[in-house]
Amino acid sequence: MYLKTHPLVLLRARRPLLVATENLARDTSLTIVGRNMLVVDHVRRSFGSVQAVRDVSLTCRRGSVHGLLGPNGAGKTTTMRMILGIYPPDAGTIGWMGGAIDRKLRRRFGYLPEERGLYGKMRVFDQMVYFGRLHGLHESDARKRAERWIETLGLGQYARRSCSELSKGNQQKVQMACAVLHEPELLVLDEPFAGLDPVNAVVMLECIRAIAEDGAAVLLSSHQMWQIEHACSAFTIIGAGEVRAQGTLDELRRAFPKRKVRVVPDLPAIRAAFARYGAPPPLADGVVLAYELPTTTDFGALLREAVAAGPVESFQREEPSLNEIYVDLLKCAAVDAAA
Amino acid sequence: MSEIGLVLVTELMRKIRSSVFIMATALGVVAIAVVLQGPRFFMHLEQSSSDDLIVAGPPALQARVDPMLEAHGAFKVVANVDRLPSSMTTAYLDAHHHAAAAIALSVRARRLHVDVFPRDLNAFNEVQFRALAPLSVEIATGVPAQRVAGAIAVDRTLHPLDTRFADGRSAAFAYGLAFGLIFILYFAIILSSQSVLAAVAEEKTSRIAEILVATISPSNLLAGKIFATATLALAQVAIWVAAAIVLLPTSMSALGISSGATSSASLYGGTMPIFEPKLLIAFGLFFVLGYLQFASAYAAAASLISRTEDLGSVATPIVLPVVGAFFIAQYALAQPNSPLAVVSSFLPFISPFAFFARMAVTNVPAWQFALAIAINLTSVIIAFWAAGRIYRVGMLLYGKLPSPRQIWATIRT
Repeated sequence: MYLKTHPLVLLRARRPLLVATENLARDTSLTIVGRNMLVVDHVRRSFGSVQAVRDVSLTCRRGSVHGLLGPNGAGKTTTMRMILGIYPPDAGTIGWMGGAIDRKLRRRFGYLPEERGLYGKMRVFDQMVYFGRLHGLHESDARKRAERWIETLGLGQYARRSCSELSKGNQQKVQMACAVLHEPELLVLDEPFAGLDPVNAVVMLECIRAIAEDGAAVLLSSHQMWQIEHACSAFTIIGAGEVRAQGTLDELRRAFPKRKVRVVPDLPAIRAAFARYGAPPPLADGVVLAYELPTTTDFGALLREAVAAGPVESFQREEPSLNEIYVDLLKCAAVDAAA
Repeated sequence: MSEIGLVLVTELMRKIRSSVFIMATALGVVAIAVVLQGPRFFMHLEQSSSDDLIVAGPPALQARVDPMLEAHGAFKVVANVDRLPSSMTTAYLDAHHHAAAAIALSVRARRLHVDVFPRDLNAFNEVQFRALAPLSVEIATGVPAQRVAGAIAVDRTLHPLDTRFADGRSAAFAYGLAFGLIFILYFAIILSSQSVLAAVAEEKTSRIAEILVATISPSNLLAGKIFATATLALAQVAIWVAAAIVLLPTSMSALGISSGATSSASLYGGTMPIFEPKLLIAFGLFFVLGYLQFASAYAAAASLISRTEDLGSVATPIVLPVVGAFFIAQYALAQPNSPLAVVSSFLPFISPFAFFARMAVTNVPAWQFALAIAINLTSVIIAFWAAGRIYRVGMLLYGKLPSPRQIWATIRT
């Protein structure tokens, strides 16, 4: 099956891949390897007869943003909830900075859940202070930080208003501020861009980057591929509760088995040159020829062949986007599951 | 500040600032005033509408009857006439001081006969005219009415076996105050438990719960919430008890229960056993114990819902014991040593009402008090423990309401 030969698929290996720090053998001491990061090691979680998470391992370094991708029901939220101690894992371990995570340590984490929730009748400022204090800040410190975040997020005019009076986008900003007010060491964001307009999505993106630059480890899940591609330095793609692929975007791209090549113009001689290289029939709109070729293709030789065959105006090899990698991977997984 | 303390203070401030708290406190005072002053008000209305009489008949008979009717304050004769119109109408009553009725006196077969023409048929009965019985006997036998009245009167001396109260007046007063306090207990527990229900439901339905349980211990969250509401409820109860103490003497006086001793000085002079501090301390104790049991149950129930529309379906089964306990407490006030009252006073959830009712009106052995407190404390611990387990799971449970079997499985796991 194609799926089983797909370099990104880990159906059999059941081990993280691609990034050196993520190749943690089970007997490797977390104290040594995970000194500077979140380490999720082969966690599993079931709800009754439903196996929500079968086998997920990932690492997330301080100062970086790690994207957790997967279709609905893949186990992203359950994984995040296990990291935050909301659900204990049935098996596997979760460690932070080389040690186990207890409730005291968890107060230094921040969490923005998928389902937004604020006290509707509580004022924006009071809400931020309350959540800051829940995470261990002194009141005066929480108040100062709340004022700063209100200014940063442009919420000044709403500070004394009830949260229920705010628009959805502004409520989301408030919730983000509540999650980061205490400057968490680990920030877990479940769908932070959902429901945001493009302008606010960019504000949120900048915010996430700034938090990571300040030294926090950020783990986020999202279906907004553009944002996640620009925000994250590493990715874990999960499906049906298992890790399907893992690595930086470059590593995922390197492992992706196909490349798109766009050629202009659409001439029979150029088509023939591509056919000689075993290329499948192209997508064509009369001007541009679009081919999908294996990465093993000698693109330099192909270019020379095409130029020799006719007046090539443009020959462009495209790197796959995160979205293409993600969709291709899950499509293959679905085909494999159906088989 | 500890997690519980932080949640407690924040919840307190949220609730104090809410208009619901202020309105509920004021509404409670109004309700207590209605309950305590209501009988007085209605008695006044009833008297003013039914005690004015027009008396007709032979003048000599009228001269004897009028003082007898007015002697006990049952009636007020507003007009004396020789005879009534052959066709009586309400217009006639209206024309004579808006009287409630007209009566025509006559002697038939050597007995006094009274024809009554009331505005409201149900407002008059035979009992109200018993004051005239000695006169009827005098007409029939010639024995003077005053002698007849003296002969038929029965002297009564009450010798209570229970030494709880010095006399019947004290006992009646204690009954009245206990009734008021039980009403406050009921009102406070219902309101404050529902306040916990609303607070937990808000966090569940608005999905704040997920952030909270990721940050602090669900047990601490639950405890902070319940203690905050308890603190506020105690403040409310203090206001309501003060209102009850202020309003009760006038109410008792109006009902004739404390006849002749209605001044505040005599009531608050320290002679009344009901004002022994231990009873008010017991009230506070049973309120806290009752509230903690019901609030735990309400919090657990609220954690199971996904939509506020489901609140009714989970709250109703818990409201029923409160209402049942209130009625059992009424029974225990009247029959404090009956088997039902005694057994009920040791049942969890019902005990705070029933036991307090009993100890307010009778001498309860110390061992029973100790046993009731022990049972209630155990019940509080079990209710809080079970609520904590349900709450921890329920707060993250969305979808249809879990079945009783699933809830039981959650408690056991």
